[in-house]
Amino acid sequence: MNSAIELLAPRYDIAWYPWAVQYFFMIALSYASLWLAAPALVFGRARWLPTARLALLACLTTTLVAPVALLADLHQPLRFWHFYAYANSHSWMSVGSLVLPLYLVGVIVLAWLAWRPALQAHRQAPGIAGFIARWLSLGDAPTPRALMVLVGLGTLALSTGIMLYTGAEVAIVKARPLWHTVWLPPMFVATGVIAAAGLVLVLNRVAGERSTTVIRQMLRVMLGACLVAALVAGSWFLDGINAHVGSVAAAMESVRDSAEWRSTALWGGLTGVALFGAVLFLLTRPAARRPALFAWAWVLGLVALHVGWMFRWVVLMDVQTVARHSAGFHHYGIPAGSSGILGIVGTFGLWLAAILLIDLFVPWRQARQGGSAADIPPAQPDAHSAAETTEGAPGHG
Amino acid sequence: MDPIRRSLLGQLARLSAGAAMVPLSSVASAGINQQPPRREGDPSKRYGMLIDLRQCIGCQACTVSCHIENAAPLGSFRTTVSQYEVEHQETGEVATFMLPRLCNHCENPACVPVCPVEATYQRQDGIVVVDSDRCVGCAYCVNACPYDARFINERTQTADKCTFCAHRLEAGLLPACVESCVGGARIIGDMRDPQSQISRMIAEHRDELMVLQPEKNTLPQVFYLGMDERFVTRPDAEPVALDVLDPHGKEMGYEFRH
Repeated sequence: MNSAIELLAPRYDIAWYPWAVQYFFMIALSYASLWLAAPALVFGRARWLPTARLALLACLTTTLVAPVALLADLHQPLRFWHFYAYANSHSWMSVGSLVLPLYLVGVIVLAWLAWRPALQAHRQAPGIAGFIARWLSLGDAPTPRALMVLVGLGTLALSTGIMLYTGAEVAIVKARPLWHTVWLPPMFVATGVIAAAGLVLVLNRVAGERSTTVIRQMLRVMLGACLVAALVAGSWFLDGINAHVGSVAAAMESVRDSAEWRSTALWGGLTGVALFGAVLFLLTRPAARRPALFAWAWVLGLVALHVGWMFRWVVLMDVQTVARHSAGFHHYGIPAGSSGILGIVGTFGLWLAAILLIDLFVPWRQARQGGSAADIPPAQPDAHSAAETTEGAPGHG
Repeated sequence: MDPIRRSLLGQLARLSAGAAMVPLSSVASAGINQQPPRREGDPSKRYGMLIDLRQCIGCQACTVSCHIENAAPLGSFRTTVSQYEVEHQETGEVATFMLPRLCNHCENPACVPVCPVEATYQRQDGIVVVDSDRCVGCAYCVNACPYDARFINERTQTADKCTFCAHRLEAGLLPACVESCVGGARIIGDMRDPQSQISRMIAEHRDELMVLQPEKNTLPQVFYLGMDERFVTRPDAEPVALDVLDPHGKEMGYEFRH
């Protein structure tokens, strides 16, 4: 056995920038929160309505911002129309470019249908809110539930297309063994659901809803998604442990050769286990102690968002630093400009702006599965009962 | 872990619920990710390259001449020569190994089917090129190439790569790297012509030729003669270039780890 030193090799820059992480994060939040909104808004389960209202807000805002991040990751963003002029059915990215706009339209129409009765009820409101309500509600005719079911089912179907293409697009890349595994797409979905449940928990707190129903439902979803993620990660590991090449072998090599990868693996594992343990702890407390503990569930929501974002950062950014046909790892420092920190902060800023604009002008708290203005209870903006909220002063409405 | 236990764990994994996804993934990689039809170029030719490593002295004349011919931005390379110091652990004898690298113009290129706008395509003579007027700069091909042969050109903001100097071949000239190689290590030619030098050398050295990362099933068409099989896949070597940064994080130079 000889030992070798690499004397000379170029340093290869990463090709996908943090914009890609932002897109994958936003679109995962989008499709997962759509499924959290679906029980009430598509399948008519009334107990899920408080969750659905928050999830729909999360879904629409992330769906609007995600394509912006995706466009920004192109080095020639103004050539985006080439996707449609020269579509290549051989490419997963091209398939995605066809699914994404349809999905975007589906989500916008679904949100509009869900908010329309409330918009109709607000047509007499003073100022811009009233103007927007009059302009957006498009007449007094009631919104048929059947139409919502139809649009909802169509959008849910398109969302599975998004799940499939975002996962497959990365998983087919043989050149990066860490990506090239069938377990990557389901892991994207599982961590996406964890993050979306976390986002609903955080919105439940900052929007002042503080519904214990929402917290209980989201903690259960998170528990299930954590279990699925653990199963997927375990299967990935066991599936590859025999192989000398492939995803698991590449991961073991990285963990063996790099202190950064060791700490990343440790951090990821610990955070996942801690999140699962904390969710299980909250759900198994006696009913009397729950309200005090549930008031802190939003912290777990932040941890869940961290898990969803970090998984995408590690997969999309860190894996690109693993050299492909030279030794070791390429250095990557996040630049300050638009392809780095400014892009990350900017995406979140745009998202915050979208949430705030909707909160200002759209009565999203009264979203419902169809109906007309008459179905909106007057002078009671919050649909949930006071007994349902956790302790603490309610936030602004 | 002993092999029996490892194989048992592997079996367990296959029994788990996710095994249902395996056929799904083969549909995905076979159905959508297939090669689009080739276009342009002379269908009667198939260009390939043979690199005789016994003749390579690592002078980087190819790197420099390619850089000048194709005006690649500083720090990005269409071709370059990686160099390794290999030490025999028993005798302590030290030798330098050179690995010239460029686009392999694969028979089954991983970079072509991923392109969402068919800006990168394979010509009928086997040369893989990029239409930089159509390229959207999504960099999917850069990630899809196992050989680091592609990069985003910072000036054009589109994908860039070795074209075997197709513009020179069409004018009856040799590619810049071949023209400048002092040892005559790089041989390019039409592999469909049995009388070409590359065809004769391939016939003569058939059993000794190696390609990079054959397990990726890309069928590279750059063949190495005098290759050390440890460099066929990602070399198990100590990386050299640790950036030395000044207090402001600006790069000052490189240093060796030991």
